[in-house]
Order: sequence, then structure tokens, then C-alpha cells
Amino acid sequence: MKKTEYSPFSVLWREVVKDKLALSSLLLLSLILFIVYGASIVLDQEEIVKVDLLSIYSPPSAEHWLGTDYGGRDILGQLIIGARNSFTIGLAITLLTGLIGLTIGLIAGYFGGVIDNIIMRIIDFILILPFLMLVIVFVAIVPKYNVFTFILIMSAFLWTGKARLIRAKVLAERELDYVSASKTLGTPDWKIIVREILPNLSSIIIVNLTLNLAGNIGIESGLSYLGFGLPESTPSLGTLVSYATNPDVLQNKWWVWLPASVLILVMMLCINFIGQALKRAADARQRLG
Amino acid sequence: MTFLRVNQLKVHYPVRGGFFRKVIGHVKAVDGISFELKKGETYGLVGESGCGKTTTGRTIIGLVKATAGEILFDGKDLTKLSRREFVQYRKDIQMIFQDPYSSLNPRKRVLDIVAEPLRNFEKLSPQEEKRKVQGLIEKVGLHSDSVYKYPHEFSGGQRQRIGIARALTLNPKLIIADEPVSALDVSVQAQVLNFMKDIQKEFQLTYLFISHDLGIIRHMCDRIGIMYRGQFVEEGTKDEIFHDPKHIYTKRLLASIPNADPLRRQEQQKLRQQIEKDYEQLYSRYFDAEGRVYPLKRISETHSVAIP
Ligand SMILES: Nc1ncnc2c1ncn2[C@@H]1O[C@H](COP(=O)(O)OP(=O)(O)OP(=O)(O)O)[C@@H](O)[C@H]1O
Ligand SMILES: [Mg+2]
Repeated sequence: MKKTEYSPFSVLWREVVKDKLALSSLLLLSLILFIVYGASIVLDQEEIVKVDLLSIYSPPSAEHWLGTDYGGRDILGQLIIGARNSFTIGLAITLLTGLIGLTIGLIAGYFGGVIDNIIMRIIDFILILPFLMLVIVFVAIVPKYNVFTFILIMSAFLWTGKARLIRAKVLAERELDYVSASKTLGTPDWKIIVREILPNLSSIIIVNLTLNLAGNIGIESGLSYLGFGLPESTPSLGTLVSYATNPDVLQNKWWVWLPASVLILVMMLCINFIGQALKRAADARQRLG
Repeated sequence: MTFLRVNQLKVHYPVRGGFFRKVIGHVKAVDGISFELKKGETYGLVGESGCGKTTTGRTIIGLVKATAGEILFDGKDLTKLSRREFVQYRKDIQMIFQDPYSSLNPRKRVLDIVAEPLRNFEKLSPQEEKRKVQGLIEKVGLHSDSVYKYPHEFSGGQRQRIGIARALTLNPKLIIADEPVSALDVSVQAQVLNFMKDIQKEFQLTYLFISHDLGIIRHMCDRIGIMYRGQFVEEGTKDEIFHDPKHIYTKRLLASIPNADPLRRQEQQKLRQQIEKDYEQLYSRYFDAEGRVYPLKRISETHSVAIP
């Protein structure tokens, strides 16, 4: 028999590469991110958000490739900084909620009993809170509202779904004999959780985090659009799109909101296509056993 | 001092229900069983599905908490030990699992699977560890290069051998084998069973052998305990159980063994019908009003039966 590598990452990777749509999505997304992060190092945020009354709403030109907004600020610059902010926020929320959800889900699922009961009641409680309303309240009462506090507030609410998913998987996994075997071999609980169970969940975690990333970028944009996201001094894709609430801008000044809308759509679609391919790979692996 | 003594062991699982998941009843998976293992013997635990065999085995090895009773191993009551104290006894009691597929972590190489107990109990250098694992893997009849492979690269019988190698790593005294071959192809079963007998001699192991297959029990065991609904129905040596069964339940169980000889099949069929009739008629003599068996009564030095 041939020696086959059985790491979950190689299986997932192979599936993405084989899927034309996912591969093009991956390439396109990498290109966008490369440009966005590369250019945002060069660009000066202070310079871009400075109001220039002489060039309000100027259409695309050689000086401003994508025109300017009502404050005479360069749209292309805002688009790049905004995309960087939106993506970074989405990624940070995804990783933070992933970490919290994973830890809590593993503990609840593995130990079960009273610990599980308490954790699940706390999660139920968080889930019935009116998320949007509380975020709006937070925006109002937190004095220094910036990218960092935004990430923290979002993560405080969004980890519950992941904790539930992981818990459900661990509940099934811990009934398998390899976990019993580890216990009878004298392996401590934390080692069983981290070294035995966690690796078996890795593909599910990767798939879930990827699909979540698209959603989290959307959440940031959506809240900024509604006016409860980041302040205007911190450009984000949602802020740019929200200029379209002005009917004049919506009808006559497409360059203000259209590029940002398209960018959001493209990024979310790309991430989703990659996520779908990963999901298929994870399922196929499970079918193979 | 007896090697292992189980005394009036009870394991009751709570049944939860209702809105607040309150305990509304108990499943009496094991309900007051007592038996002894002597050093070096193979003790068979037989019974129909759900009679509590697995629960008994898992309680002895500490995977399930006993509700009441004692498990005396080397004079120490295992049910009273804290988790930390139990770790010392872990080395002496090991288990071979029923399912060779789920009992090996698919993400780990054979080397890491078999070395897991070593890493918990002994500080070996990577070279020493590898040498020891390779030695064990060869002992169970696999090639020493196998240590770099993953479980899915092996057949069911080979996987079960890897599981056995893992159980042997710490030089245990008692091995609990819970239906070790029931997931395997019949052609491989004999191979694994004979191999288990060989290592029993070599390592002076005591087996608690759990099975519902009386043919296998007959092949492997010195003494046998028949279980029914969490209690013992009959206990005795292999000869006593197979040639002189006293309880109607044991007789019925023995009659259900399929006969390989086609000429005697007719005869067997008649016997089975006869016992089935007896079972119905004599039911009330062997079982109490709740359908449970009576406490064991000793009828000879080695033979006990549950009769009033
Ligand atoms: N974790 C559990 N919670 C509740 N009830 C359980 C649990 N494990 C087992 N039981 C019940 O305890 C009884 C005995 O189960 P056990 O697994 O010991 O039977 P068994 O003799 O090994 O059967 P089989 O031959 O099918 O493996 C069964 O009625 C089962 O439903
Ligand atoms: Mg069982």
C-alpha cells in the first residue's frame, strides 16, 4: 500500500485546487488582499480623510481615479483603507470568536454534566438578547469607539454559534472508543481534548471559520451602513456604501458607492466559494471514514 | 489474596426526562454482581445484548462510576480511589476495545498511538520509545515499518492487533477484552483469538473476556459467568456450564448455539423446541414476580446457580 499523507490540510487544499471556481476565487481574493494591504501601507489615512472643499463630488479623473465624496475626499483611497479595515475587522472577529467558541465548546462537550449545563444556559441567555439593539446602545455609551472596541463588542455576541457547533461535535466524538482508550491509558483530560479530539475537528473548524469570515465582513459593512459601525474618520466599505442613502448620490454619483458595493460582493462571494469547496472536502473525508 | 474481586457491584444510570431534565428513574445496567478472577485465568462474561457486560468491564477499568459495591484489586478498592490514585492502577489494568475502527485515533500514526501510554508513565528518549514500540508491533505480528503508517492503512484484524499492542505497552496484569473480535471477519477471528492466548502465556495475563458468542467463550475461557438483566444467572467452570447447566436460561442460551454438523441439525432443532417449552412452563420457578433472577446459590465448590 502506498504511504499516503492524511493531514486534513492537504485534503482540504487538494479539493480547493481541483475546484476551478474555488481556485479562481482564491486567486482573485489573494490579489485583492495583496493590493489592498500593499497599497494601504503607502497611503496616508490622515491625508485621505481630510476635507477638501474645492473638489466636492468630482467625478473620476486623472487626479482622483474614482472621484471624490461630499467632503472632497478621494474615493479610491477610502476604498483601499476601507477594504483593509473591513477585512481586518472581519478576520479579527472570526479568529476571536473562533478561539472563544472553540475553547468553550470543547470544555462543555468534553466534560458535560453540570459544566455543560451552565455554559449552555449562558449561551441561551446571550442568544435571546437583542443583538442589534445592544450594539447600538454600546455605540452610544462607549466613549472611544474605534476598530478595537468594535471587534470586542461583536465578538462578545458572535462566539455562541461556534461554541454550540463545537460542543455538538465533541459530544459525538467523546463517545468514540479512542477517547475511552486514551482515558484508560492514563492521558490527562486536557491532553485528550487538545491532542486527540481537536485534530479530528480541524476540518470542520476551518470550514466554519471560512464561511463565517464572509458573514463577518458583511456584518461590519451592514452596521456601518446603518450608521452604527465605525465613525467616518475610520473609512470602511460600509461607510462608503452608506453614502448611497442620499438619493442624489444614489442616482447621479455612482462612483461614490458602486465600487465599494462591488468590492464587498466580490470578497464575500470569493470567500463563500472557497468555503463551499472546503465544506465538500470535509464531508467527503467523513464519508471516506 | 484474590487477584480481582468484584463485590455486589451496582451501576445504575439515571434516566432524565421532562422539562428540567430531572432524574425520573434508573436503568439498572449492573445490579449486584459478585465474582472473582484468579491470576492467569480467562473469565468469560456472557449474556444477551444489554445485560450489562460492557458496563461491568468499563466500571472495573474506571470509565464508568460504580453506584455501589466494591472492586478489590490487589486488596485495594478501586471504587474508592480518587482519579489521581487510580492512575497507578491504570498500568495494571488495560482494555481491548470492540471496534478496531473507532478505538484508534485516525489522526495519529501507529507510533504515536502505541507510545501514548509510554509518554504518560515513562520518560523515554525518542529512540528508546521507537525501539520499544517497534518491538511490540513485531510481537503482534506486524512489520516494524508499520509504525509510520496511519490506522486507515490497515485491515480490521491488523488494527485490532495494534489495539492489543497498545494495551500491552505498560505490561498490564489484567486485560479486559470487550468483544475483541465481534467486529472482525470470521476468518480473522480465530487468528486474533489464538494470538491472544499466546500472549496470555507469554505475559502471564489475566483476561476478563466479554462476549455474546458462546463458541468463542468456549474456546477462550476457563470459568464463565452468565448474566441476565444486570445480574448473574449461573457461574461455573467451562465444563460445568457447557455440560451441566442448571438454570433454564443457561440451557436456552446453550441451545441457541448453531450446530455446524448438518446431520445433527434436526436433533438440535428438537432439543431447542423442547427447551423453549420448558422455559415457558418453568419460567415462574426460575424467575421472580418482576421477571428477575434469584440470588446465586452455591451448589458445588465452583458452580453457582440463581435458584430460590
Ligand atoms: N451511558 C449510558 N446511559 C444510560 N444507559 C446506559 C448507558 N450505557 C448503557 N446503558 C444501558 O445499560 C444496559 C447495559 O448496557 P451494556 O452496554 O453494559 O450491555 P451489554 O451487555 O454490553 O450489551 P451488548 O452485548 O449489546 O454490548 C443497557 O440497557 C443500556 O441501555
Ligand atoms: Mg457491550
